Amino acid sequence: MSLLVADGITKRFAGITALEDVSIALEEGERVGLIGPNGAGKTTLFNCLLGLLRPDAGSVAFDGQDITRLPVYRRARLGIGRTFQRVELFSGSSVRDHLLFAHRIRSGTGALWKDVVGLGLPKPAEIERCDALLASLGLGGMGDEPIEALSLGQSRLVEVARALMTQPRVVLLDEPSSGLDRAETTALAETLARIQSEQGFGLLLVEHDVELVASFTERTYVLDFGRLITHGPTPEVMRDDEVRAAYLGDFVAGTT
Amino acid sequence: MINSVFAAGVLEDTIRAFFQGLPIGAGFALVAMSFVLTYKTSGVFNLAFGAQAFISAATYFELHVRRDWPIWSAVLVAVVLVAPVLGLLLERLIFRHVHAASAVAKLVISLGLLVALPELFKLVVDYNREQPFGAVGIIPDGTTVYRLFGRYPVTRDEIAAFVIVVAAALALAALFRYTRLGLRIRAVVQSPRMTELNGVNADWVSSGSWMLSSFFAGLAGVLLVPITSSLGTVLEPTGYFPIVISALAAAALGRLVSLPAALFGGLALGIVTTQMRTHVPRDNVILAELQGPALPYVMLFAIIVFWPAIRRQVAGADPLLGVSPPPPALAATSRSRGMTIYTRIMALAFFAAVGIFTFGYANNFWISRITHSVIFSIIFLSIVVFTGLGGQIALCQVTFAAIGAFGAMQFAQRWDISVIVGMLAGAAIAAAVGALLSIPVMRLGGIWLAIATLAFALFFHDVLVKYSWVGGSLFHGRGVPRPEFFGVDFSSRENFLILCSAILLVVGVLVILIRESSTGMALRALRGSETAAESIGVISWRSRVIVFSVSAGIAAIGGGLLAMEERLVGYEANFDPQTGLFWLVIVVVLGARTVEGGIQAGVAFVIFPELVLHRWLGLDGAWRFVLFGFAAISFARHPEGLLEHGKRRSQAMMQRMFARRQPAMAVASAQPEVDTSADRGDEP
Repeated sequence: MSLLVADGITKRFAGITALEDVSIALEEGERVGLIGPNGAGKTTLFNCLLGLLRPDAGSVAFDGQDITRLPVYRRARLGIGRTFQRVELFSGSSVRDHLLFAHRIRSGTGALWKDVVGLGLPKPAEIERCDALLASLGLGGMGDEPIEALSLGQSRLVEVARALMTQPRVVLLDEPSSGLDRAETTALAETLARIQSEQGFGLLLVEHDVELVASFTERTYVLDFGRLITHGPTPEVMRDDEVRAAYLGDFVAGTT
Repeated sequence: MINSVFAAGVLEDTIRAFFQGLPIGAGFALVAMSFVLTYKTSGVFNLAFGAQAFISAATYFELHVRRDWPIWSAVLVAVVLVAPVLGLLLERLIFRHVHAASAVAKLVISLGLLVALPELFKLVVDYNREQPFGAVGIIPDGTTVYRLFGRYPVTRDEIAAFVIVVAAALALAALFRYTRLGLRIRAVVQSPRMTELNGVNADWVSSGSWMLSSFFAGLAGVLLVPITSSLGTVLEPTGYFPIVISALAAAALGRLVSLPAALFGGLALGIVTTQMRTHVPRDNVILAELQGPALPYVMLFAIIVFWPAIRRQVAGADPLLGVSPPPPALAATSRSRGMTIYTRIMALAFFAAVGIFTFGYANNFWISRITHSVIFSIIFLSIVVFTGLGGQIALCQVTFAAIGAFGAMQFAQRWDISVIVGMLAGAAIAAAVGALLSIPVMRLGGIWLAIATLAFALFFHDVLVKYSWVGGSLFHGRGVPRPEFFGVDFSSRENFLILCSAILLVVGVLVILIRESSTGMALRALRGSETAAESIGVISWRSRVIVFSVSAGIAAIGGGLLAMEERLVGYEANFDPQTGLFWLVIVVVLGARTVEGGIQAGVAFVIFPELVLHRWLGLDGAWRFVLFGFAAISFARHPEGLLEHGKRRSQAMMQRMFARRQPAMAVASAQPEVDTSADRGDEP
């Protein structure tokens, strides 16, 4: 039984079919890529998995449970974490606050009466946990920084850290390389790979950057015009002629 | 035979009500189209249209009725000159500079204007609303009655209003369809940046649409004077609330973006209003209310909750949205440690000084003022909780305070139960009402939440208060005793002040605990980014319902104490919805994010008009509305409040001076400069 399964997803917008009968699956602890040219339906599929869009047909299941109709926050509580293509952080909060908020939501100790009698204040152990995760992502000592002071690359790491604090079983990364240069992307990928192998969560990488996907994932799905054109182990997919024609284009096909 | 006569009578009534409804609806439609125009072109949800309509109507009234100007010249000045110039000034001086601010910040600014503009007008013009011989419309002999089809009576004023509105709507449609300005407005609506790339000055277009919408509001103000006397005294600023609410309902039908929907929605709501008045039987109390004052609020609330289009609203579909520079950096909410210590020392010194003054030197008057300040601080903490923590605007805190006051009164009068118990029961009722009210609208948030809560406050004011189970009976009066419990009598001024201070302390600690704990964390996350908060599992509506409920309870406790202090429920003086708008404005201006800000607002609310304006400057107390109303503009840049902002600046300055003198030490204590990020917005 796969951890996250999308089965026969179809989504239409005003007559345009953005996704047609797309099925993907992700195992526990696996690193999977989802690629495709602009307009292929990557983001639509991503949003269907997260609950921001409701598919016209098909279902989404997580750990054997049908989650097709669950709202975003319920899926998050089940263990689906995510990051954003355009960074979405809590402006006005410190770096550590981001992790603390996520931890609190996850641990569910949010009853109002506890707050009122003073049991809801951050505990030293919680702060330690946040700082430990920050340190392992290379953001040690930045806990008190206001979030606005961080670079884009660091902000993306904070997003990852925030998602990880909810103890997700799968993390969906939405174009983490966008806005980063090659060196920053490599650094981000290395950190991600390390923390993923340490913690063993599943990763779904929705990406534009083929090199990142090639270096980072074990399996890859390729979308084109709303259809799944192929999937399989990443190296094989990258050699597939149809993928080259549809996505990588003649330029790459011609150079090899 | 009898049946057919009866049916004919019903038909006749229906047709008559239809013709009476059209001109009223035309007025709604005009204001609704103004809302849509500015919301579309500048993203401002301009509640101040009520004030703009009032100013035009009052100018007309002043010139024509009191100074005997001929009608045409009074109309020319009031509608063609004053209204567009006012719109232009608002756009040029205020709204253009807050383009990147959030919708909530813009709403706060328009609330400030709604409070400030009518008061400024009254102070400047020396306006006297006492009408020598009734309001007069803009048509000569407007009360002349014609009979349509020889049967249905309509006045000349009503015909004129309908014709003018339809003509205005047609002209607007033609403007959009056939002129360059219309094309540009439509383009700016889609994407101001894209339009500018095509060589169009988006600012100029925005000015044009503000002048146009203000003109519409002014026209509506003048036209509605003779027709809608049944909807309230139009020549008072608050008289425009029912009309604005109905217009909002009409605009809401088109999600605030569709001009045709605003026009037809306005007309339809006008017809519904008169049909209800004609057909709904009056023998039932609730049905009787629905014919009159309750109708606009019920309509608006129903549309917000049940109209499916509103839920589908998506903000910001501008394709170039991503390329615009981010809004100016706002102040970080977290204070540095030094700042916190500094604040605590100052607070201790302040309270010690007030304590020594109160028990050593103050006379009864000042003790009463200080008690009022403490009580208003408690009430304003409810705004700190909901607006400061939750980042949302609610305009019915005043209603919750009134519920607390009436709770204390009812329990004491009816069952002779301690006022403290009554006040707490009032707080529980307010919290429950808050939860019930917020569940349907909290998902919408933002502007819709503010509108729905305003509708509720006005509904309470115009409808519920009249009932004896809410507002008390004439027979008993509204007297409230001071409490006595555990053998301590709190009826003396000093003892009651001590009680209020203790409650303020408890509520203040409570607010801090909530802010620093799980609930506060969820709210801060939501305020930062709702999308991201939901992605980590925050249930946005639930957090907001909880905090709204808490905030309602706090307001009710404050309201109960205020009634005890004054020994009666001074509803008209203290709990008017207009007053409630001013509460919100003064708190966000001075600092809605901190407990300290709430207390400062409480003190300022009571002491400022008395001491600074009246005694020191010799000014009318109404200037406070003008000063704080205009100060609300600062909210876009300094959501932490002006006092907090000033304090941070002074602290940063002291740090710099200190650093210059002792560079070595400054390096050693180098900290992330939280405070400077707050000031970045100041420099161009």
